[in-house]
Amino acid sequence: MKNLYLKNAYVVDPASKTDGVKDLWVEDSKFVRIKSKKVDTEYEVLDLTGKTILPGLVDLRCHVRNAVGGSQENIKSVSQAACAGGFTTLLVMPNISPFADNPGSIRYINECASKNAAVNFYLAGALTDNMEGRSLSPIGSLKESGVLAITDCPLSTQNNEIFVKGVEYASMFDLPVIDLPRELSLSKNGSAHDSVVALSMGLGGYPRMAEEIFVQRSITVSKYLDAHIHLSSISSKGSVELINDAKNKGIKITADTTPHHLCLTDEKIRGYHTNFKTHPPLREEEDRESLVSALLDGTIDNICTGHEPHQDHLKKAEYDLAPAGVTSLDTCFSAIYTQLYGKVENLPYKLAEWLSYNPSKIIKKESANIQPGSFADFIVIDLTEEWIYSAPDSLSLSSNNPFDGCKLRSIIERTYVGGELVYKKP
Amino acid sequence: MEVTWNRNSLLGLEELDVNEIKLILELSKEFKENLSKKQKPSKNLEGKRIVNLFMEPSTRTRVAFEIAAKSLSADVISIASKSSSLTKGESLKDTALNIQALGADAIVIRHSSPGSPLFLSKTIPVPIINAGDGSHEHPSQALLDIFTLQEKLGTLHNKNITILGDILFSRVARSNLWGLQKMGANVTLVGPSTLVPKGFEKMGATVSHDIEKSLSKADAVMLLRIQHERQSSSHFPSLEEYTRIFGLSIERSALLKKEAIILHPGPINRGVEIDSTLADSKNSVILEQVTNGIAVRMAILYLCTTNSIR
Repeated sequence: MKNLYLKNAYVVDPASKTDGVKDLWVEDSKFVRIKSKKVDTEYEVLDLTGKTILPGLVDLRCHVRNAVGGSQENIKSVSQAACAGGFTTLLVMPNISPFADNPGSIRYINECASKNAAVNFYLAGALTDNMEGRSLSPIGSLKESGVLAITDCPLSTQNNEIFVKGVEYASMFDLPVIDLPRELSLSKNGSAHDSVVALSMGLGGYPRMAEEIFVQRSITVSKYLDAHIHLSSISSKGSVELINDAKNKGIKITADTTPHHLCLTDEKIRGYHTNFKTHPPLREEEDRESLVSALLDGTIDNICTGHEPHQDHLKKAEYDLAPAGVTSLDTCFSAIYTQLYGKVENLPYKLAEWLSYNPSKIIKKESANIQPGSFADFIVIDLTEEWIYSAPDSLSLSSNNPFDGCKLRSIIERTYVGGELVYKKP
Repeated sequence: MEVTWNRNSLLGLEELDVNEIKLILELSKEFKENLSKKQKPSKNLEGKRIVNLFMEPSTRTRVAFEIAAKSLSADVISIASKSSSLTKGESLKDTALNIQALGADAIVIRHSSPGSPLFLSKTIPVPIINAGDGSHEHPSQALLDIFTLQEKLGTLHNKNITILGDILFSRVARSNLWGLQKMGANVTLVGPSTLVPKGFEKMGATVSHDIEKSLSKADAVMLLRIQHERQSSSHFPSLEEYTRIFGLSIERSALLKKEAIILHPGPINRGVEIDSTLADSKNSVILEQVTNGIAVRMAILYLCTTNSIR
């Protein structure tokens, strides 16, 4: 492995509170304090003047369809899309094929990942068998197989007893439970936020209430069990208020939202554009604004991609029949940077917190940071470049990305995992 | 009036401007006069192939489109499917491509999914006529309602039209709401709060849950069928309670202006949303609506197919 000498980059690293121009050296896959080699020729030297280095990004909600092969998103393709988006660590949800609800499947998936994933690949194990919400999965054994969290995401366990027992049991193993809060009886026919947009389009509504009732459920359960629950993909203003209140009371709740909920509203679905059909649905401007404020004041801890690849022919269908979910890994950073550029002070540093430092803490991984002795998972970004995103050219096997055709500011130029170059901008 | 019709498809009334609506109504009037003279079918669409693609049950609309097409000398092929094509394994896109390959000059589609006619129109370069898409729009029904209302009331400017019943799930209500407002009418939507949400106010309507109050000022009342098949039991307790609180009974009809007219797109549930005798009363124009439906659909077919780019 070649050693790296990174010159003149603007380095942003919340873990070491670094925020300025400095030189970095990587030897044997780790950052080192001072170069040990005498001559520069023993290093690959990169002059990164004008570029920015961030720790590798960490995603807490990403969906993969197949472990290997096929025409649907698999570990190899998702890993490539992740690298293109600057992600070096993925927490993959259990609805991969095979389901991550038993140790055998998990070992198989992890084996596939060790051969095909260029990124740090971790699984969240299912909370219930077959993710059906009926009986608890073997959570202790899943922990031994290496899962970092427990969840039925993209579903939410509807049965309160199962959910409570699952949280209680998982907390014994120090595993956070991730819940994508959705009360189903209020939202099962809903393919859009129930505003005037859905009403005029004749679409069934997925109301804020359906999310907020389950946000409150998690807060209450976390409070009484003193257990950590992470709320995923928060979309409504009311949820933000509930979470803020819970955090002020010291309840062990953490939460994230997605790039699409930070950048887009339900106005986008007019014309029945299925690539704006997300889960949860895009909501109104007041929700979007509240999510941005919640990140800034720490109510929301991090941003997950909510990357949900769907095949083209499934998305090119009637709106209510098309599956919900959008791809996001390779646009996440740039979309948010574009949206918040000029509106948020010290934006690169905050993005490093939201997309790397904070999510690492939630899954208790001392993941990406730019300190001597740490694995060199980092990205090189040109924050000034403007480019047009083209979903069909994505390294993901799916192109259901809501930012297709959008002009984005900032581009990932290089992604390194353990000092190894895993992506370079073409 | 100088109005040009530049559309191949009729997807809904939300996208039409008032002059386009007036053009359809004027042409409908001409077709109606010809029909009433029992003239031989006009040869306007001779050699054109109209495909009726009905993926939801329909009698009135399907038959009216068939008669309209035949009255213009078009060939009509009707494809009825109880379920959406997707459940049979073929996507709507593939169904459409097949129909295009069979040489259709226009497709009249009814489908349970909102937006499916728009989806088709973006998929194939064949004129698409929306005959009802889920709870979204039913433009030909609203146009025949407006045509009938104009015949009875003259101008619709500042007229008060009350639409009563299941608004939430009704494509007829939505299309009428867009169309009537464009024609200058005031629209009041009445029914239980679970079926007439406040959100309709943002679409320009007045929302009311008080039937008595809204009947007294109405120039016309349009009743909608309570669609048991679309609602879960949670929207209202029972048909009996609905009839008691929101049904148009003989007693309540006394609150109406003497000349107020009663419309219903059908099929009627006699004794549920409307008392049986009122449906047959002189104020009722329910059967005239059906007859007018032929002329209006002739106008729609004519405009969409003769401007089509193939």
